[in-house]
Amino acid sequence: MKLIPCPINGLRPVGEFVYGGEVRPMPDPNAVDDDTWASYVFNRTGAPGVKQEWWCHSPSNTWFIVERNTLTDEIMQSYLYDEMRTI
Amino acid sequence: MNTPLRLSPIHDLLQSLPGNWQAINGMPVLTVSPPTTSPLILTDRSCLTRFGVKGANAADWLASQGLTIPDRPNSWCPLPNPSAGIIARLGLSEFLIEDSLSSRLAPQLAMACQTPPAKVYPVLRQDLAIALSGPATHELLQQTCNLNFRALILADRPILLTSLIGVVVTLLPGEHNGHPFYRLWCDGTFGNYLWQTLVAIATEFGGTITNVEL
Amino acid sequence: MSEAGLHQPFAKSTLPQEPLTDRPSRRGDRLPPMPHEWIDRDRIIDFTFEGTHFWGYAGDTISSALWASGQRILGRSFKYHRPRGILSFANHDINALMQAGEKLNLRADTTPLEPGMTLAAVNTIEGVHNDRASLLNAFSPFLPVGFYYKAFHHKRLFPFWERLIRRISGLGQLVPTTPRIRTAKRYDFCDVLVIGAGVSGLSAALAAAAAGADVALVDENAQAGGSGSYQLGGELALAETTHQLVQQVMHHPRIRLFTQTVAAGYYTDHWVPLVDRDHLTKMRAKAVIIASGAYEQPAVFRNNDLPGVLLASAAQRLIYRYAVKPMHRAVVLVANTDGYRAAMDLLTQGISIQAVVELRSDPIANPWIAQLRSHHVPIYSGYCIYEAKTNPAKDGVCSAVICPIDARGIPQTGFSQAIACDGILMSVGWAPTANLLYQAGAKLRFEPSLQQFVPDTLPPGIFACGRVNGVYEFAEKIHDGQNVGVTAFEYLNNPLPSNSCPLSRLPSFTPPPLHPAPFIPHPKGKNFVDFDEDLQYKDFIHAAQEGFDNIELLKRYTTVGMGPSQGKHSNMNALQILAQITGKSPGEVGTTTARPFFHPVLLSHLAGRSFTPKRQTPLHSRHGALGAKFMLAGQWQRPEYYARSHSSRIDCIQREAIAVRQRVGMIDVGTLGKLEIRGPQAAEFLERVYTGRYANLKGGMSRYALMLDETGVVIDDGVIARLGLDHFYFTTTTSGAAQIHRELTRWNTIWQLDCGIVNLTGARSAINLAGPHARHVLAQLTDCDLSSAAFPYLAVREAIVAQIPVLLLRVGFVGEWGYEIHVAAESTPALWDALMVAGAAHDITPFGVEAQRLLRLEKGHLIVGQDTDGLTTPREAGLAWAVKSDKPFFIGQRSLEILAKQPIQQKLVGFRLDPAFQATPPQECHLVIEQDEIVGRVTSVAYSPTLKQFIGLAYVAPEMATPNHRFNIRLSNGEIVTAIVTSTPFYDPDNQRQKETIAHPSQVAA
Repeated sequence: MKLIPCPINGLRPVGEFVYGGEVRPMPDPNAVDDDTWASYVFNRTGAPGVKQEWWCHSPSNTWFIVERNTLTDEIMQSYLYDEMRTI
Repeated sequence: MNTPLRLSPIHDLLQSLPGNWQAINGMPVLTVSPPTTSPLILTDRSCLTRFGVKGANAADWLASQGLTIPDRPNSWCPLPNPSAGIIARLGLSEFLIEDSLSSRLAPQLAMACQTPPAKVYPVLRQDLAIALSGPATHELLQQTCNLNFRALILADRPILLTSLIGVVVTLLPGEHNGHPFYRLWCDGTFGNYLWQTLVAIATEFGGTITNVEL
Repeated sequence: MSEAGLHQPFAKSTLPQEPLTDRPSRRGDRLPPMPHEWIDRDRIIDFTFEGTHFWGYAGDTISSALWASGQRILGRSFKYHRPRGILSFANHDINALMQAGEKLNLRADTTPLEPGMTLAAVNTIEGVHNDRASLLNAFSPFLPVGFYYKAFHHKRLFPFWERLIRRISGLGQLVPTTPRIRTAKRYDFCDVLVIGAGVSGLSAALAAAAAGADVALVDENAQAGGSGSYQLGGELALAETTHQLVQQVMHHPRIRLFTQTVAAGYYTDHWVPLVDRDHLTKMRAKAVIIASGAYEQPAVFRNNDLPGVLLASAAQRLIYRYAVKPMHRAVVLVANTDGYRAAMDLLTQGISIQAVVELRSDPIANPWIAQLRSHHVPIYSGYCIYEAKTNPAKDGVCSAVICPIDARGIPQTGFSQAIACDGILMSVGWAPTANLLYQAGAKLRFEPSLQQFVPDTLPPGIFACGRVNGVYEFAEKIHDGQNVGVTAFEYLNNPLPSNSCPLSRLPSFTPPPLHPAPFIPHPKGKNFVDFDEDLQYKDFIHAAQEGFDNIELLKRYTTVGMGPSQGKHSNMNALQILAQITGKSPGEVGTTTARPFFHPVLLSHLAGRSFTPKRQTPLHSRHGALGAKFMLAGQWQRPEYYARSHSSRIDCIQREAIAVRQRVGMIDVGTLGKLEIRGPQAAEFLERVYTGRYANLKGGMSRYALMLDETGVVIDDGVIARLGLDHFYFTTTTSGAAQIHRELTRWNTIWQLDCGIVNLTGARSAINLAGPHARHVLAQLTDCDLSSAAFPYLAVREAIVAQIPVLLLRVGFVGEWGYEIHVAAESTPALWDALMVAGAAHDITPFGVEAQRLLRLEKGHLIVGQDTDGLTTPREAGLAWAVKSDKPFFIGQRSLEILAKQPIQQKLVGFRLDPAFQATPPQECHLVIEQDEIVGRVTSVAYSPTLKQFIGLAYVAPEMATPNHRFNIRLSNGEIVTAIVTSTPFYDPDNQRQKETIAHPSQVAA
């Protein structure tokens, strides 16, 4: 089982986690047209690469961010949301 | 007949066991003397009083109530003497306070928190609280939980929030008489399943069920 | 500790035992005691094979005991049912596959002998000696490669072929009464996991442990030592050195040795399942050293599958582990130094060597050539074995026909000669046991100087040593292991960046251990490449001719490597043959994908204890005592209904529903999601995540709450109660609770509103007390003013009921005056008991999930997930009233704006069937058909005992949604039922039941 590094609980097996999708900031609903909003809601970027992902450590209900290379499945680092950075 | 106002989540499962019943903190408790050589002992400690609180100001509020706060996330420390209870820091900013048999700090904290200050959120605790103890404890854990318990440094007083046989649990590893002594808390609605499964495994080891407070 | 996993002692046989000296040993095939032999000559084990009694020693495998007794035919091959004996003797082939009662497909070569075993070969008709299916051997010209893809296409004849093929093929007989066994799995941890306890693995383990690592060392054999204990060339000192290494390992405090344990695969982050006879351990390591050795490869010549034709290492194992003489007069086929060592091992045990046949015309000198010559062993260089001749008894070899080969490898049959023998050894080369390396993501390259694939790049934390790393000489293997052990320890303290390279390989002074082309064609064929699948050399030529000429296609068309051995003895040869045919290098041909498991794993080990969590409310045993029939709602066990003797399920459900309508009922709703939110921005948070308005909700009141996702689809509903200015308590559906709590936590992680959420789903339980008498029952237990003025519909009050602090909510889900009573879990049984006592005079009736569903249906209340699906928006479900679009923001708002520009496709309506309807009613998901088009479906349907007709909810096209419109529902068998659109609620449309006038029991009609 793959190990995921939780910033609070440390390295744990992936079975303790729930995956929350790629981090996608919500655009201002009042400032975008219908197509842009629909794209935010339904479309995802499929190209592989290092992505920021939401992960939740289920036993402690801790949401955090993982930077993972979706091609090699290598985890680069993880941190809490308030330590978020742009990549 | 009046049903007691506090019942352990596994009260009905314990009905078939021999022993004496007495009321502790308003909850019927089965007391049995365990054989000293049992490889694994399971104990129901749900009768102890406990209190939960979380939030950005929870640590400060608890300190204002006279408690020493565990300084690191996922660690614990004892309650002020003469109590032998514990205060556990669950993750970053949630706390579990559990009294020993002789202390009643948790109900006092619950009273004080009825109108909580800002960013202090009381958490009602209705756990199944048990203890796993005896020489075969690590073997039981190896069959039920994917964490390396033998590598823990007890002096660090770690708290573990993890999953055991598919149930979210809080674990407080410890030692007693040279053998492992682990305190475990889980959501009471998983209590019957957790207890029955651990009993089945413990029985394979030749283990015992007791309700004696250690 | 380090002896964990070694053989358990066997019970002594209970049969009367003849003294050892009197036991016939049948052709005297047992050798005098070998140092460190694996057998215990003091313990005899009796067993039967194919109905005949045999005996062996404790420590024997089934095959070694049979071979020692002179039994040569151990099984029959898969397709042609040819007699087979020992080939690899290492679990790299399944020539000897046997069944013992319920235990099928035992690998006799490596399965320990047990007292009383009753064995038979699988896949025979009337036994291994007279297998009638061997007739197929004669039909082999009609069974070319890939014939099963072509021969059985005839539609009418296929059932006949299928029955025939099922009868004559297949391995082992399933015994349906075999008990289902589960063995407990366990987790384990170490710093360095070393896979393979040959001399390189032993050395690596010792080096890593000496440096300070906690080491686990596993080996699939019964004892550690690997080839260091049997590839000796007659030099017992090597075995002694190996033995010393094993002793050091067994006594080292930081090494745990697990023998008879297979590392069955490699999984992410160094997770390796270790499988032994009794269970499966999931080992997590911080670094893995793969010292798994190499597979010996057979030479391909006619009749190379006769009993008595062995791989050289098989013969060496027989000799040194089990003291069994593999044969009496041997011909040894060699193409490397190992073959000469094997010949010496035979010679030193008194086996006569009739000839050494050397494939290379110019073999490089080695010390054993001189020794063999001094024993007058003829050595034929530049020769091959053209064919092995069957003996008259058809159970072995009687001679080897040898002839020279020219520079292109073509046999010069004009110069052939037959050499009498009763056994042939093949030592033409090795392929690395690289399966776990591949699974770990290692990249290998073909090294021409070794004629072997060797590790090229290794992922971080993965290391290789010994023969799998291309290192073959004894001393070099030790050195290689020591280096790797130290490097692995250093890696623990300083993890390297990715793409680390393996250690530079020490050059081997011997020529390549693998001969590039040990394939000798023969016009009559029967020169086998894959012994599991009965594949001959020409099968590969034909497959390539038919166009299946890359390695993946070749594998699937010929099925090479797809048998139980998964290519251990055949993949390398197949690859070399394809290289030869296509003129490519083996590196260009490539390998197919190695996947777990390395050896088969018992289902009992994989099943484990199977932990399936079940969730129960505090009232669970009370439900059981009342006769509840439980159902699973997600993880929860809930009473579906309460069974009564002499009543059907439907009758029980309807009786419960009527009790609620007429008197009072009680249902355990403890499974509801329960969340509490506090803080100055609690109301704002709720307004963002739900569609409704809550800032203006009065304290002490509750309101319906609808939740959407970002696409505007309905995902949950519940009730929000305001307990204070900054304090709300709200419920979710049972199945949504965990996910909603998680998602709300994520939203506030982003928004950082000043509020906090607590999940009380398990900490609180809840009981719904409902019916015209509900108020009267509750009034007996509380001082709370329950009058309509003081406690209106949808109000919430904190109160003491039966001395227990509770939260009372006046809700209307089932359409009667009722209270949802929320209470701390530990007090729920006391509350239930008190309510039962207080309600006894009113014949209070516990009701279950099915009755509740019927009652809510009579009120037209929808259930999210049943009456809505993954695309349902509020407009379609008649919930637009719950959406307050003029709020600044809520989840789903923007999407609803976009959707509002289009008409809806379907609408949820109530329907009824004609009251006189007597036939089969529709069920949920039956389709609504209009002019041959699907326009909707039924989502809920039930017979209402109160209204005395079938009612339901269904989606229909919007233009059909007018009351009294008739529409068609199609049943599963095609019948059409006509339904009538009806406005909801069906029952009590004006909500009279919530009004004071009927709340007093004396005013309720019986």
